[in-house]
This record gives sequence, C-alpha cells and structure tokens, in this order.
Amino acid sequence: MSVEKILPTPDADSKPFWDGCREHRLKFQQCGVCGEVRWPPSILCPQCHSQNTRWMEASGRGTIYTFAVYHQAFHPAFKGKLPYVVAVVKLDEGPMLLTNLVGRPPDSLACEMPVQVEWDDISEEYSLPKFRPI
Amino acid sequence: MLDAGICNYVVISYGHSGLWGGGMRQLLFNTRASEAAFGHFGAVGRYALAARRGMHAFSRGPDTWKHIAMGQRKWANLNPAAIMHAKPMSEEDYYGAPLVVEPFRLFDNCQMNDGGRAIIVTSAERAKDLKHRPALIMGMGLDNPCNEIAQAQYTAGPTGAKKAGRAALEMAGIGLADIDACQIYDCFTYTVEVTLQDYGFFGYGEGKDWFKGGTIEPGGRMPVNTSGGQLSEAYFMGLTPISEAVMQLMGRCGPRQLGPKTQTKEPQIILCSDNGGTLQSHACLIFRRG
Repeated sequence: MSVEKILPTPDADSKPFWDGCREHRLKFQQCGVCGEVRWPPSILCPQCHSQNTRWMEASGRGTIYTFAVYHQAFHPAFKGKLPYVVAVVKLDEGPMLLTNLVGRPPDSLACEMPVQVEWDDISEEYSLPKFRPI
Repeated sequence: MLDAGICNYVVISYGHSGLWGGGMRQLLFNTRASEAAFGHFGAVGRYALAARRGMHAFSRGPDTWKHIAMGQRKWANLNPAAIMHAKPMSEEDYYGAPLVVEPFRLFDNCQMNDGGRAIIVTSAERAKDLKHRPALIMGMGLDNPCNEIAQAQYTAGPTGAKKAGRAALEMAGIGLADIDACQIYDCFTYTVEVTLQDYGFFGYGEGKDWFKGGTIEPGGRMPVNTSGGQLSEAYFMGLTPISEAVMQLMGRCGPRQLGPKTQTKEPQIILCSDNGGTLQSHACLIFRRG
C-alpha cells in the first residue's frame, strides 16, 4: 500500500521560497535597508522594521546548529525512512532553516559541521532543500 | 481581580483526554505545519533539537538525564495517584528503553494521559477561614524570549528561566538558598536540567555533578518534582508543578510528604516553573507555607 507523501504548504508569503526550491534555488527575503536576510518570510524586517524587501539567492552553504534523530515514525510516510535526521542549519547568509541531513550515518554528525544544500525532488511541484555534510 | 474585589475565589483548572480523546495528538502531530514535510513532528522533535544543542554547549545528555528520570520515578513510587506508581526504574530500564527522537529515550519524555487538576486562588485574608492551611504566593516572574523557534539561539540557555527566576526571587525578597524544594515543568528531562541551571542552582555545565548522588530524590538535599512530575506522575501542563507545591506546603502529600517521612527538610518555601512552546515562554512562581 502506498502512503501519501506530506508536501509543503506554501502561503502567500512563502510561495516565492517554494517556487525557488522547484528551480533548485534557495531564496530568502533580504531587507533593502539594513541587509538582514530573514526566515520565515514576513512583510517587515525583524531587525529594522522596514517594508523594503527583495528576494536574494543564498549560497546553500551553512553549518549544523542542531539535529535530532527520529527513531519513531509519527506519520506513516516516514516509516520506511527510519532512522532519519531533522536538523536546523544556520546558513552562511544568516537565517536558520529546518531541514533534513542526508548522506552520513546519524552517529557521525555533530553540531557546527559544515553542510551544503542537496535537493530532494519529492513531487513534480515540490523540491525540499536538504543538507549534506561536506 | 481578588484585590479589586471583582471576585472572591478563582478556580484555575485543566482537564484533558490527551490519551483517550486523541486531542493532544492532533495538537502535536499537525501534518499541515511547514516542518511536517521534513518529518518533524510534535514537542519531542522540537525539544530533541534543543537538547542536542544543549549537549553541544554544556550537557552530558543521558548521563545527567537518567538521574532526573530515575529520581522523579522514586517520588512517583511514593505517590499512589501517579501513573508510574507501581513501576520502579533502574538505570538498565532507562538506557534499555527505546530511542524516540535522539537524544531522547522513552523515559526522557513526559506522559500523555487523561485527567484533570484544579487549584483555587483567594486572598490571604479569606484563606484564614478555610479548612486547610493555605500556601501563599511570594513571588512571580515571566519571560518570553521568542516566538519563532527555528531562529532561536537560546535553547542551550539562557532560557526565559533566567530572567523570570530572578524577578520571582526579587519579588519574594529571598535568595536561592532559601528554597527548600522545586517543582519544575518537566515535559522532557532536559527541560529540568536547563531550567535549574538558568535559575542558578548550579553553574553552567555543572549539572553532570549536581544531580549525582540522589540530590533530587527522597532523602536528597534539593527535592525536585516530588509527585513524580510530568515524567512519572501525570501531565497537567503547569498545574502538575503548582498543585504539588501547594499540596506539599499544606502538608497533604501522604507517603511522599517532604519532611521526616522522606528524610528531607520540612518545606517552608517551594519554587515552581512553567514553560510554554519550545522553551519560548517561562513563568516562575514561589510559594511559602501560610
């Protein structure tokens, strides 16, 4: 029996991010006044409150801020993936992104390890930014 | 409201069929959340991320947390109302339990249960005429450091406990040395470690030694979560710690009563914590014997 995948649920604010992901480009809002790169998307800069905003493309490089290894599936879609790793990656441009770590056994991971984005095309419409230690 | 005369008694209650009704599962395992596509669900995943950063920064992780899980279980073994009353926990039980979301094993997690709890607040003046000796509120403090958890860089401390604890002690006009016992919001073992650290009961990274030797257990020098807490008694949000502090100060705790029965100091002052989100909001309350 096939289990339905859980897909991202973009809203008006986050749609440009997910559109970027489909093209394998990691895009974030950047404040046109103070330069702060922010996540999640919002109408105001959390640093200087300016509404002057543009979308920029991040390098896809960062470091592991923290990670957790799932040994239990809380949804059937993840049963076959155990154990899998959820992490917060701190991107070189500043924002922290909730993601998965791939390509390394969980017990070889550590906070502050450098990582690079790797794309997981989960459907025609959606690609998830995941990260691999480099 | 009590001071203004708008009301005489306030009931603060919590009731939930968290286990039977499935409401807690719906709350925690929302597949519409943006993080669900990455397989990230519930409080256990979020607190596991916080705890891992804590281990990177200062914590020995399970080697410290086992003392919290086992210590609280010993209190639950003295509490007939605790879900885990009849179940002692050895170190083998702790390490042998399945990993849930690493670094957490099963017994690092609080329980999901059906039930409820309530407390009544009134003025000290009115309380004089009541049947039981009251517990008096000495101090309280709040601090809510963050509303966007992925961007939070304080999950290894200092959490909201630091400012909230300082404010509560200041209002009470006492120091940590005056505290006889603690009832700490213990959704996960790590929460107890980081909260007590941020209150200042031990120095940064010193939890690994502080919890050793039965510090928080019956007979210990700083009893913590004397009902068994959310880990081993039952989960009623902030009312698990508060109701236990009040009952202990009233002297209504039966076999687990602090004092000669449990070879601990007779409590005059008890400190409580409450915590919301993933360490995103914090309340500290200090009670004394009325």
